[in-house]
Amino acid sequence: MRYRVRHVTTYRYSDQVAVSHNLAHLAPRDEGRCRRLAWSLVVQPMPHSHRRETDAYGNQVDRFTVTDPHRTLTVSAESTIEIQPRGFLSTATPWETVVDGAPLGCEEFRYESPLVPRHPDLAAYALLDFTPGRSVLDSALGLCGRIHGEFAYDPAATTIHTPVMSVFHDRRGVCQDFAQLMLGALRSLHLPARYVSGYLETLPPPGSERLVGADASHAWVQLWCGDDLGWVDIDPTNDCIPDERHIPVAYGRDFGDVSPILGMVLGGGTADVAVSVDVQRL
Amino acid sequence: MPWDESHDGGGPRPAWRGLLRHLEQLGAADLRSRWDRGRRLLRESGPAEAGGDGRPWRLDPLPFVVPPDEWERLERGVIQRAAALDALLGDCYGPQRLLRDGLIPPAAVLANPQYLRPCRGWMPACQQRLTLYACELVRGTDGSWQVVADLAQAPPGLGLAVEHRVVISRLLPEAFRELRVQRLAPFFARLRQALAAQAPRHKDNPRIVLLTPGSASASYAEQAYLARYLGYTLAQGDDLTVRDDRVFLKTLGGLHPVDVVLRRVADDWCDPLELRNDSLLGVLGLAAAARSGHVAMANSLGSGLAESPLWLGLLPAAMRHLLGEEPKLTAQPTRWRVEPGPGQMLRPAFSYRERPLAEGEAGWDAALADRRIRPHAWVVQDPLDPSVAPCWDEAGILRRPQVLRLFALRGEHGWEVMPGGLTRGSGDAAWLEVAGTSKDAWILSRGPVADVSLLPSDGAAVELRRGGIDIPSRVADGLFWLGRYAERLEDGARLFRSALVRLADEPGGARGAVAPYLEMLARVGMPIEDDGSPPERQLSVAIGLLAPAATGLARNAGAVRDRLSADTWRAIGAIERTMAAERGDASDPAAAVERLDRLVMACAALAGMGQENTTRGPGWRFLDLGRRIERASHSLDLLLAAADHRFERSALEALLAVADSSITYRARYLATLQAHAAVDLLLTDDTNPRSVGFQTEIIAAHLAHLPHEQERALPTPAERVATRLLAAIRLADPAVLLAPGADQEPVQELLTQLADDMTALADALSTAYLIHVAPSRSLARGSL
Repeated sequence: MRYRVRHVTTYRYSDQVAVSHNLAHLAPRDEGRCRRLAWSLVVQPMPHSHRRETDAYGNQVDRFTVTDPHRTLTVSAESTIEIQPRGFLSTATPWETVVDGAPLGCEEFRYESPLVPRHPDLAAYALLDFTPGRSVLDSALGLCGRIHGEFAYDPAATTIHTPVMSVFHDRRGVCQDFAQLMLGALRSLHLPARYVSGYLETLPPPGSERLVGADASHAWVQLWCGDDLGWVDIDPTNDCIPDERHIPVAYGRDFGDVSPILGMVLGGGTADVAVSVDVQRL
Repeated sequence: MPWDESHDGGGPRPAWRGLLRHLEQLGAADLRSRWDRGRRLLRESGPAEAGGDGRPWRLDPLPFVVPPDEWERLERGVIQRAAALDALLGDCYGPQRLLRDGLIPPAAVLANPQYLRPCRGWMPACQQRLTLYACELVRGTDGSWQVVADLAQAPPGLGLAVEHRVVISRLLPEAFRELRVQRLAPFFARLRQALAAQAPRHKDNPRIVLLTPGSASASYAEQAYLARYLGYTLAQGDDLTVRDDRVFLKTLGGLHPVDVVLRRVADDWCDPLELRNDSLLGVLGLAAAARSGHVAMANSLGSGLAESPLWLGLLPAAMRHLLGEEPKLTAQPTRWRVEPGPGQMLRPAFSYRERPLAEGEAGWDAALADRRIRPHAWVVQDPLDPSVAPCWDEAGILRRPQVLRLFALRGEHGWEVMPGGLTRGSGDAAWLEVAGTSKDAWILSRGPVADVSLLPSDGAAVELRRGGIDIPSRVADGLFWLGRYAERLEDGARLFRSALVRLADEPGGARGAVAPYLEMLARVGMPIEDDGSPPERQLSVAIGLLAPAATGLARNAGAVRDRLSADTWRAIGAIERTMAAERGDASDPAAAVERLDRLVMACAALAGMGQENTTRGPGWRFLDLGRRIERASHSLDLLLAAADHRFERSALEALLAVADSSITYRARYLATLQAHAAVDLLLTDDTNPRSVGFQTEIIAAHLAHLPHEQERALPTPAERVATRLLAAIRLADPAVLLAPGADQEPVQELLTQLADDMTALADALSTAYLIHVAPSRSLARGSL
């Protein structure tokens, strides 16, 4: 499947911004089933400096500084992506085997991270599905289904600062909350699991037009399922194993490692942010 | 029984004999009077006194003695440990051989919050991560030293050690000489060389700043002292800016490139962009600037990883692998991922700043519960039983437990240890981080010692200097606002006082009697709602409206604390006390007038200090500019309020009373109260220090003295506005504007225009020199 993704972020400030420093994780990963055929990033006003780097997790980072005084900053990323179907996944590897051993590269995704705690309550919640000897993938899909069933999707309930444990107690949130909650539950059992930010193609209800710009950035998790399967994507928001409609951009320990744009400005007063994402099937 | 540093069973230990004999000869009374002098010296030595004693520990006059043979062993051990930790950091952020080979468990690094991802895979250009290192040691009951803490990112206490040495060597000069105590100055000379050598450019004359978290930090006084001792600019995060991966110091004279940052800001607070996003202490883009190699940082970012208590247990294995050596110093036994035995303590594995917990203490059960889900986050240690040394106390000499802190430097010729240091002690043997006393550590030498000092000696001539164009913009900003708030407070207090005095002449008067005053108060942002109670009571209660100005004054004074003299600080303290001293009935007018009197006097004292006790550098100019702009704006508000009352008699009376100009007016015009004469006195008369004209002349003079870009042809925006103001005031003729029967509109217009220009002038100044920088942030959020 081929897509064109347009991701436009517009900041409007009440006061003039003197300097704006930004870190962007906006370039989809180019590996495995995903090929990045084209990519561009346009920033308005034109940045004074712009560097492209690779972060500690192998994600592409664009670091740019705007020094022209401005009240509006627009960051437009556009990519063309091709995704191969995943194929059938199955494993008999018991989850305890993954707990006992995983390659060094997985290690740092086992522990608590700034936004994802380990907690006895999360461990207890996960253990309802991670029963002794059960396959790691089956257990994880069980957990995924339970989160999907028991938690309400509610954009008004949380902000990017809502702690995982509040989401756990209030049973509502958005994709980012569910992903981080699932990470907390998996890591509380000492399983390596990481946060994936990306896009999801949304299909319009039958009979209606696809709305341009109505899509959004999305988040899900990857769980290490043993050497034979490696990292497997799991989407607790949609209770599925991502396939051709999920486009991964970056992964890290939690949202903080991969936030699409982290911007810090001098001046500016209050800011108003508008994000428009458009995933178009080619 | 803890080890006794100074005595064994048979009497004083050899190394201590000389010192103890000196103390005995001196006698308690003599020592006490010397110590009183010493404490005075300590107070005068730093800015600490300004805001109370900013030192974490109290200095104990009795030094801590280390004999030469013992020192040599410690020295070798500390050097080896510093080298091992440097290599450890190099491996953890680089190839991770220790993790790959299974010599240390992955969680020690990968679960460690001190492991900074933005530093992964990066090696500083100088090929070293540590420039400074401090080691904390405790002597156990068997007499052997063990390491209890590694301070590897921004070792605190160097400034304290120098300061101690200056005081104690003057307190006990005979003992200091005779015992051949090793000098500290050569170490600091080499520290300066080492830092200069790291500069990527300008190696012969690099700009080095000491990055401080600011005056709220407990050890700010010590940092300010160290910066002054080393001759570096003390900079806060806001004083620095990053452009194109290069670091600059923001000064009144423009942006100056910074080559080396000696930092006292902890790792994760250094850069709000890549590290902790909530940090207000750091510099945006500093991490990237450091990675790019355009600026050197001592110590490099990420070195806090080496401070985790878990290394106390894991370092020997790492050291064998990295250096091929056995540890020369043992460390406090520290075990990871084991159950605590009886009497053992649980301690957070990653941060040495958190207190170890003993069974039964508050937090123990929570720690055990957390341990089950995060076993990697805790280590198990035995309680310490540190050695004791004699300490001075008002009651006599007591024996208290001590921790010895030694400092090491990696210079041109490898690692060396400062031959001295400090000890800290407290009543709490288990945890010595709490406030207690500190000592100067005396390292005895086998041979004679040479005299060296970095402080200018009393006889040597220092180079004469004027000005100080290098003052950071933040400091100028703080002084500017200090001036504005001080003036705002004083003007407000005068306004309230005049209104209350006016009402006292007319007991039982209605609000109408003070209508012009109420109008003026409303103009300057302190409107008073009529609640039906007697107006003098309403006014008395409303004094509370001055609080924001007082708070602004205190906040800005705190921000420039190291620039204010002790007397200035005392004057500010008096203002704060007067504001806080609301006793009894807040609505009692007599008490309110008395309080306002004190407030006005305290403000006048502060103003006098600014005029008489401050050198005429750019800092003073900004302080005075703030004051002048505020006063001119205030006078214009008063005039506008009087204009609203069509310059009626009551309004003119109020105007003269508030502006403290009644006497001048009466001397000039006797009792004939005429609008144009009163307005002249407050607007155009350039001999009256309360008039707008007077402020404008001074403002224009200040602007001409501020640092400018060289070779500019045209006046600055601020100068343009000032010229416009001057012209408008000089050309105004009150006699024409306020001729009987004349239209009021032109005078209203003139006053409004002047008030707007005064605001424009303040803005132009800020834009050119100050640019107030409050970082804000915004994150995009994923949803679906």
